[in-house]
Amino acid sequence: MKIFSETTFRLHKKRAVSLLLLITILALAACGGTTTNNTPAAPANTDTSSTNTTTETNMEEPAMSHKGVLRVAMQPVVNLDPIAISSDSEVLFANHVYDYLVDVDAQSNPVPRLASGWTISDDGLTYTFQLAEGVTWHDGSAFSAADVVWTFNRLRQTEGTATADLYANIANIEATGDLEVTFTLTNPNPFFLYDLSDNHALVLKDGTEDASTTFNGTGPFKVVSYTPEDRIVMEANETYFIPEQPKLAGLEIIFFNDDTAAIEALRGGQIDLAMRMSTSLFQSLQEEAGITTIDIPTNGFDLVRLRSDRAPGNDPRVIQALKLATDRDAILNVVQQGYGAVGNDSPIGPLYEAYHNPDAQPPARDVEAARALLAAAGYDESNPLQLTLHTPDTGNRPDLAAVLKEQWAEAGVEIELSVEPESVYYGDDGWLEVDLGITGWGSRPYPQFYLDVMLITDAKWNESHFADTEFDELAQTAGTTLDEAARVQAYYNIQDLLIDHGPVIIPYYFAQFGAISNQFDGFTLKAFAGRTDFRTISYTGE
Amino acid sequence: MTSNGSSLPTQLSPPSSRRSILRELFARPASALGTTIFLLFVLLAICGPLLAPYELNQQIYSDARQAPSATHWFGTDNLGRDVFSRVILGARDILTLSGLGTLLAVLSGVTFGLISGYYGGLLDELIMRFFDSLLAMPALLLALLLLGILGPAVSSVMIVIVVVYTPIVARVVRSVVLSVKTKAFVEAARIQGESLWRILFREILPSVLPALAVEASLRFSYAIFLVASLGFLGVGVQPPSPNWGLMVNEARQHVSQLPWALYFPAGAIAIVVIGVNLMADGLKRVWQGGTVGK
Repeated sequence: MKIFSETTFRLHKKRAVSLLLLITILALAACGGTTTNNTPAAPANTDTSSTNTTTETNMEEPAMSHKGVLRVAMQPVVNLDPIAISSDSEVLFANHVYDYLVDVDAQSNPVPRLASGWTISDDGLTYTFQLAEGVTWHDGSAFSAADVVWTFNRLRQTEGTATADLYANIANIEATGDLEVTFTLTNPNPFFLYDLSDNHALVLKDGTEDASTTFNGTGPFKVVSYTPEDRIVMEANETYFIPEQPKLAGLEIIFFNDDTAAIEALRGGQIDLAMRMSTSLFQSLQEEAGITTIDIPTNGFDLVRLRSDRAPGNDPRVIQALKLATDRDAILNVVQQGYGAVGNDSPIGPLYEAYHNPDAQPPARDVEAARALLAAAGYDESNPLQLTLHTPDTGNRPDLAAVLKEQWAEAGVEIELSVEPESVYYGDDGWLEVDLGITGWGSRPYPQFYLDVMLITDAKWNESHFADTEFDELAQTAGTTLDEAARVQAYYNIQDLLIDHGPVIIPYYFAQFGAISNQFDGFTLKAFAGRTDFRTISYTGE
Repeated sequence: MTSNGSSLPTQLSPPSSRRSILRELFARPASALGTTIFLLFVLLAICGPLLAPYELNQQIYSDARQAPSATHWFGTDNLGRDVFSRVILGARDILTLSGLGTLLAVLSGVTFGLISGYYGGLLDELIMRFFDSLLAMPALLLALLLLGILGPAVSSVMIVIVVVYTPIVARVVRSVVLSVKTKAFVEAARIQGESLWRILFREILPSVLPALAVEASLRFSYAIFLVASLGFLGVGVQPPSPNWGLMVNEARQHVSQLPWALYFPAGAIAIVVIGVNLMADGLKRVWQGGTVGK
């Protein structure tokens, strides 16, 4: 009891602090920020301690080959050190100042970036990368294998970071030549190339001391100035190692707390590109002259999960009843206005064509069956199942919560909603404690990520406290086997298992929206908007 | 001197009955309008469930996102809920919450004001300086801080109203007490050995009533606005409550497509706040302006 009250107090103190922050934001922006479909795959990091500074570099006259400045609306950045970035805007910034060793294209395939090529040993334990030639840092010094070794050692050896877990399987990193790096793994990892392309894995210069205030990258754009809460101004890197790139002369990331304001700015020509907007805003842009709208399917989803390690969720009939009481088609149509795809309660969505089993479908809605299951579990009209559904106030999650409340009420479940600012929801890890919650998970290029951080026993973000040995074995097989057929089978089995007794409901996979001025060409939106690549965008206007 | 009524200074005498207050309120067009609006909304709050054509949270998916029409007078929101029904049912939510909150704030403000004004000295200093420190913070900021500590719930909003408005009411009460406590009838009661309770609530309180009534009605209109503001900021009542402020917040992101879902609840807030303000202004004239003798 004592522990409980202390936790509650801490949570409330955190709330107070977050609300103070909220007030500050409200004072700065006319309206508070809200809404998007696209949350960082990692829950929002609310650490605001990183220092904000302005960096000035010498302005150079852009050469003739670079033309036009792309102005992108993004939410304000908090962390700029690649090891700590998580939001779209932070990743977008880092992705254009620095380079990944291995990148992932719009079709989710690993592609070369700073690595020009690689070889993998037959046992799957040794990866040797050849590095691109002619790469220089923005300060003029030459890029070498030592920078890569230093970067990945930092990522895997900094305590308490997501990458320390992600790269725990790396046994050794070695510069085996001036432009060659060899990674040795402890266990085979068929997704290692994807892991190397993790959002944080941008290559820094060997010995970089403060990556949150100095931005010495190899990337396509150089930072000209950073004005906190306002914008980041960047200019083309004249000596970028890929010829003809970037095509733009400059890039400006302009901060908006409010998506509605950002879309109005797009309409008014103050910005050229927006990638965070509600479905309503996206629809309102459809007939707008001079603006091209794009929507692509993603594997991002809103996860409704019930803690499975204590009552009432420790009775599998309860989550099964909630699944039966959920009308997924109606949710997709009403909450998402039909954009995206209906979910099947597993994070292995239709975007992962090879791994997604289209035949694995949750049972159709059956309110009577749900009632019967609840009655069997001991809940009826005199003793209804009562739960509080915790949800962050961003994107369409409050709508999803309101719809679920009504749908489940038909099966006799009484839901109270608790809608909190996102920073409060994720603050102090309260979201990992509550019984019933909705969490947004961003799109990832491969499905193993979700299993490893969300569903295996004792995973870092195992919000449903799921502990199932059969599942753990399947996830282990899928994540380590070098036999593709065995992996496909494991993923198929995982989908069946999660539909049968998984602690999660995934009602839909959402779409990613983008809207760009017609004066730009070559824009390819990515499922994780922050990884969208501006190197190949060109300006076609006057 | 058993009845304090006869000993009251004339300028503090309230009108003799409620009927005469109403009559005087309706004598002036502005306060008549305000009172009418207020009474209409009270009626809505009482009879809302009978008048609303749809259930509060009934989601008719096939009717989602419809403009105002004969079936849905105020249109529907993005989840297919009838905006007209929600605005009507929201009247009860917002009036009871701000009404009860104001009532509690008045009760506690009167208590603190009476004690502080009557005793004076160190106790007065302590209470008033504490209240001053509360008043130094903007009401909304204080409310947000409190809600941050208490967590979002209806009861928290109520506490917020009490904490935010108690100091203001207490100050008004105290100032009247200070001017009354040296009067002969209070001295007389004290000399007669009447209990403290009796002196405070039977002798002094009636003198405070006119100022208190005006203050209470003003606080009520501010409380409505505060409750709506907190709802809009998403920190007070929780969805799917039909709190008008919360409805405005929810409708905000759909404003380009479903403007009606925003305009009607926003209009309801504006109308009821203006109405109560006009009524408060009328009350002020009836209870103070007309009889102060300036």
